[in-house]
Amino acid sequence: MKQLLNQKPIILLISALLLGALFILPLIVTSPSLMQIIILIVLYAYFTSTWNFVGGFAGVLPLGHSAFIGIGAYTSTVLFQTFGISPWFGMIVGGLLASLVGVIIGLPTLKLRGAYFALATIAVGEGMRVLFENVKQVGPFKINGPSGISLPLMESSFWTFQFGSKATYYYIILIMLLVVLLLTYFMMNSKVGYYLAAGGEEPEAAEALGIKVSRYKLIAMAISCFLAALGGTFYAQLMLYFYPKSIMGLDLSFEIAFIALIGGRGTILGPVLGALLLRPVSELTRIYLGASLPGLHLVIFGLILIVVMRYYPKGLVEPIKKLIDRFIHKPARGKADDPSNPSARQE
Amino acid sequence: MALLEVKNVTKRFSGLIAVNDVSMSVEEGQIVGVIGPNGAGKTTLFNCIAGALPPSSGSILFDGQEVAGKKPYQICQAGVTRTFQVVKPFATKTVLYNTVVGAFATTQHLHEAETKAIEVLKFLDLYNKRDVVSQSLTLPERKKLELARALATEPKLLLLDEVMAGLRPQEVTEMLPIIRKINETGVTIVIVEHIMQAIMNLSEKIYVISFGKKIAEGDPHDVVSDEEVIKAYLGDEYVATQH
Ligand SMILES: Nc1ncnc2c1ncn2[C@@H]1O[C@H](COP(=O)(O)OP(=O)(O)O)[C@@H](O)[C@H]1O
Ligand SMILES: [Mg+2]
Repeated sequence: MKQLLNQKPIILLISALLLGALFILPLIVTSPSLMQIIILIVLYAYFTSTWNFVGGFAGVLPLGHSAFIGIGAYTSTVLFQTFGISPWFGMIVGGLLASLVGVIIGLPTLKLRGAYFALATIAVGEGMRVLFENVKQVGPFKINGPSGISLPLMESSFWTFQFGSKATYYYIILIMLLVVLLLTYFMMNSKVGYYLAAGGEEPEAAEALGIKVSRYKLIAMAISCFLAALGGTFYAQLMLYFYPKSIMGLDLSFEIAFIALIGGRGTILGPVLGALLLRPVSELTRIYLGASLPGLHLVIFGLILIVVMRYYPKGLVEPIKKLIDRFIHKPARGKADDPSNPSARQE
Repeated sequence: MALLEVKNVTKRFSGLIAVNDVSMSVEEGQIVGVIGPNGAGKTTLFNCIAGALPPSSGSILFDGQEVAGKKPYQICQAGVTRTFQVVKPFATKTVLYNTVVGAFATTQHLHEAETKAIEVLKFLDLYNKRDVVSQSLTLPERKKLELARALATEPKLLLLDEVMAGLRPQEVTEMLPIIRKINETGVTIVIVEHIMQAIMNLSEKIYVISFGKKIAEGDPHDVVSDEEVIKAYLGDEYVATQH
């Protein structure tokens, strides 16, 4: 915390202003459909930030993250439907379940390097979706195969996690995002973060320095899947209807990975930046061309990715950080590029 | 009791015997040298001691405990840290970050790890490079970073695999007192090196390995005048002209 507040006053001031603006946003935006788009931007920033714990730091590229989002959505929803258990509680159960599944999947797959891990996660993610599409009922829980679940409409209340006003959803997901970003920050500046990065980058050297690499990757996986599932519950409560393709599909997993890579994986602000840029693209193509060209948004993302990787292989946070450094940290020109710049901490 | 006791260690790679029935003994506080021609099996021996490769047979006792076949991180936690001949820095991270990773071996807290890392970097004269990303270091600097990271784990036994290879003679001369100073702080050292001057200067005891086999051991000066050693290093004709 000390480190967090140890920034230049101007950075703190700008951050405070930005935060303030985020919190008064619903007072300015009155259109519910615009609010919905904004909520989805924040939600995708949240999803990608949870992905970041593994994809950003452990040196692998997960492409099946939506499986854990789906576990969250299904768990809280069936618990509510069947037993009337509040989604807030179901959310935690879903998180723990996703964590468990993540660790079980991670045990064999996290040892794989590069493309092999990516392929394994695609297989697991798709396998999970197909499984859910082929099951109508598990014990007392109805999941209805490919047609999915509609949540029963309830009165707007905290307990039912259903709200009449979009603003409430917005505040919930905004706070969830801020908490995850804070967690990311603390992780990066802790032993777990250092060990994870070391093991991701050069596993042999990491092991020689006393690091049980697989253990730290599993910790990251557990955190990442837990948090992803919480986002899944939020999605279910926001939409009140979901089905395997909408919440466990490859589309969602790929969109998350694209957001991370274009924004900047392994950084705090990368996922936020990526979501801000890509979500509107994805909304617009869906609104105007969705019927004739489904999946077009992924093609566009691919093109953006190629261009961004060409010039900024670390993602768009790179040039933005340079700009900030230039204007705030080092007003003296040219010095911002100095590699021995001591202010180049983890951010 | 010796701090490190290697007993009849053999390492086979499908068909090739890289380390052949090697035994060695290192007392606490010593600097022990291991020399031998390229491909003799020195790095493989280190890999066996540090857990990177399980020995095919034999026993390795550290501090009286069997460590043969244990994982590298367990052996490091027991107090043995090695450097890599082919350096393996965390390439996209700074020198300080690399060293802090090592320093986390003895603490849970970032600020303590940083304090320790800075102390080590100052000691090795790398402090002014602390914020340089390690992939933009020169080779000698990367070798030093290997040493810094290893030292930051506060090992009891340090295995140095050609940390001076690629250094200019003057840099070697600067490195010698540093290694001796590390030893004086209570760290036992086993050092593999090609540079004879360095090994002779530092080691109390030398092991010579050729084609996986130990061919000589003992006092540095005795060992280098040993006929077989000269043969291994300089060829048969050289021995013949000596007579
Ligand atoms: N992982 C491995 N697999 C197969 N052969 C290896 C492996 N590591 C080393 N070797 C072989 O073992 C022999 C000894 O190599 P090494 O220990 O690196 O020698 P040195 O360090 O003394 O130069 C060499 O012939 C080398 O090719
Ligand atoms: Mg070698």
